[in-house]
Amino acid sequence: MTLTGKIQGSTLIVTALPEFLDAGNAAAFRAEMSRLLGDHGQVIVDMSPVHFIDSAGCGALIAALRHIKASGGTLTVFGAHKQVRRVFELMRMHRIINLFETRQQALDSLRL
Amino acid sequence: MPGDMTCRQSPLSDSPAAGQGEPLQILVAHDSRVVRAYLQSHLEKAGYGVVQAGSPDEALSLLTSSIRIVILDLGLPEMNGMTCLRHIRERHPDLPVIMISTSLETAHAVQAMKYGAFDYVTKPFDPEKILALIREASRTDLVTGKQQQAGGTPETVYENETVMASRIRRALLPGGVPRELNGLKAGCLNIPSVLIDGDFYDLLAVNETCTDLIMGDVMGKGIPAVVLGASARQHFARALYHHTRSSDHSSLPRPEQIVASVHRDMIGSLTELEMFFTLCYARIDTEKNLLSYVDCGHMRTIHFHHDTSTCTLLQGVNMPLGFPGQDHFNEVLVPFAPGDLFFFYSDGLTEARGPKGQFFGEERLERFIRNNGHLEPQGLCDAALREVAEFSRSESFSDDFTCLAIRIVSPETMEEQAPQWVLDIPADLNHLDRVRDFTREVCMGFGPEVVDEERIKMIQIVATEIVSNIVTHAYRGMSGGNILIEARPTREELIWYFYDRGIEYDFSSAPPPVFDGSSETGFGLHIIAHTADYVRYSRDSTGRNCACVTFFLHRGSPE
Repeated sequence: MTLTGKIQGSTLIVTALPEFLDAGNAAAFRAEMSRLLGDHGQVIVDMSPVHFIDSAGCGALIAALRHIKASGGTLTVFGAHKQVRRVFELMRMHRIINLFETRQQALDSLRL
Repeated sequence: MPGDMTCRQSPLSDSPAAGQGEPLQILVAHDSRVVRAYLQSHLEKAGYGVVQAGSPDEALSLLTSSIRIVILDLGLPEMNGMTCLRHIRERHPDLPVIMISTSLETAHAVQAMKYGAFDYVTKPFDPEKILALIREASRTDLVTGKQQQAGGTPETVYENETVMASRIRRALLPGGVPRELNGLKAGCLNIPSVLIDGDFYDLLAVNETCTDLIMGDVMGKGIPAVVLGASARQHFARALYHHTRSSDHSSLPRPEQIVASVHRDMIGSLTELEMFFTLCYARIDTEKNLLSYVDCGHMRTIHFHHDTSTCTLLQGVNMPLGFPGQDHFNEVLVPFAPGDLFFFYSDGLTEARGPKGQFFGEERLERFIRNNGHLEPQGLCDAALREVAEFSRSESFSDDFTCLAIRIVSPETMEEQAPQWVLDIPADLNHLDRVRDFTREVCMGFGPEVVDEERIKMIQIVATEIVSNIVTHAYRGMSGGNILIEARPTREELIWYFYDRGIEYDFSSAPPPVFDGSSETGFGLHIIAHTADYVRYSRDSTGRNCACVTFFLHRGSPE
């Protein structure tokens, strides 16, 4: 897995997530995320490549959220597919992460 | 807890409650000194005398003839409050006991009332309510259940009643059930107790594939219990007939509708008579291989699984009939496989006493069914009677002994049920993609009109979560183990079996998930439970764990 981080203004946008984010690669995802995050406050994750996520995958996202919150930042996610959204709902992730459909909506939300 | 024991006799006071002379003495047994003091101050203000006990042993030692009423905490340490209640009832059958508890569980209230508690109050308790109960209890004689000063000689009335109740019972209740009905084999046994209970049961064919079973137990003994039991049985038969006739042929009335309808019919008279009964109303559908049941505080039905020789207990969530304020009853669906057996019974089995006063108990009964579940239904009932009689060294019971065993038989579908899909993988998280591919392959066999892409993904996530749990918890991340996955599709459902030989892991003891973002783990079981239609974890006698997950193919039935 090779995540990519792109800096746009004061925001870090994480892309190139794997197609399957599950217990098999959650640890690797978590390690790469923590390297990318550094001390960035505003972080956007592009979920569109992910077609399948399980509780371990969500757990890795929660770990990232905790890291970001520790430095007073926010985690915004866009492009989640139906299955991913369904699992987010089951895990009540929509209550703790800002979810948007498109990249533009995610960016706009941070400009306000 | 010796350090916490306090015992103090209240000073005699001018007592409006007791009228003239000495105040009526009440024993307050609670392990919290604060609660005892709180109750004491309220009771003394109302003119009662109070004796405090901080433990069950102390409570029992303080039960002198001057004590007229007991207030007992269900959660007392050492011996629990329920055991203490039984000891009190044995030694002082006419002493009213008011139970107090933090527990809101129906089962506790039912059990306490059954053991003869005068009433049951939950915390935070209202002192006024307790005082009202004390006033009522002080006027009531528990043996006859009548208000005092009613006159008569209780013993003779009682003996006549018992003989009469026994005759009424023989006249009103069925002797047995059909041995074969709708592809089911049935066995039944009913031994009335010495004092005559109000157990009742029935087995009715609703159509060619659906059979309804009713088993109930009226709280109380003698004529009132027998008549109420027989009347309840009639109400159910009538409600089923009425609703089946008025609905169109394709949709049968649901068990919850029938129970709600009987409850509406009977609640008025039950309230007036101050009686209630526990109930299990079950429908066995041999076309859908589905048991749907409404349990109202009855004993937990035992489901014997033919394939793994294991048992599950079917828990109910409703209050007994006769408790006011219920207009809706929850129905639970349980899939079964041909060869499975359901064992319905009354508390006469589990509460039969051994020579030392110990109960036969649910655990012993479950073990018995697990070891004998392959017997013919009638043979199983007979063997259960022998087992309980041997345990209690007696053929006569203090409660009715009622049991009904139902076996699902349809050998032709057994062939159909043989596993068609098998995947054997190493217990390693790097093989999750194989689990997903296998799940997809099985699902694709049904076509998108039965299992669509979205459903496939949800089935895949359940499979992934189960395999992850096995790797992490059963094998504790150690390599070398394997996981066997079997898929058994039928016309109505898709059943998955996940077998492993890791350590036994009690999934029910896992803490509930925390959703506020503070926890990163512990969500797998939640996802499984909220995505699959039915989940069962078991371990067979060879030490193999099995997680069995069912998805109904045609939605509409599960909800």
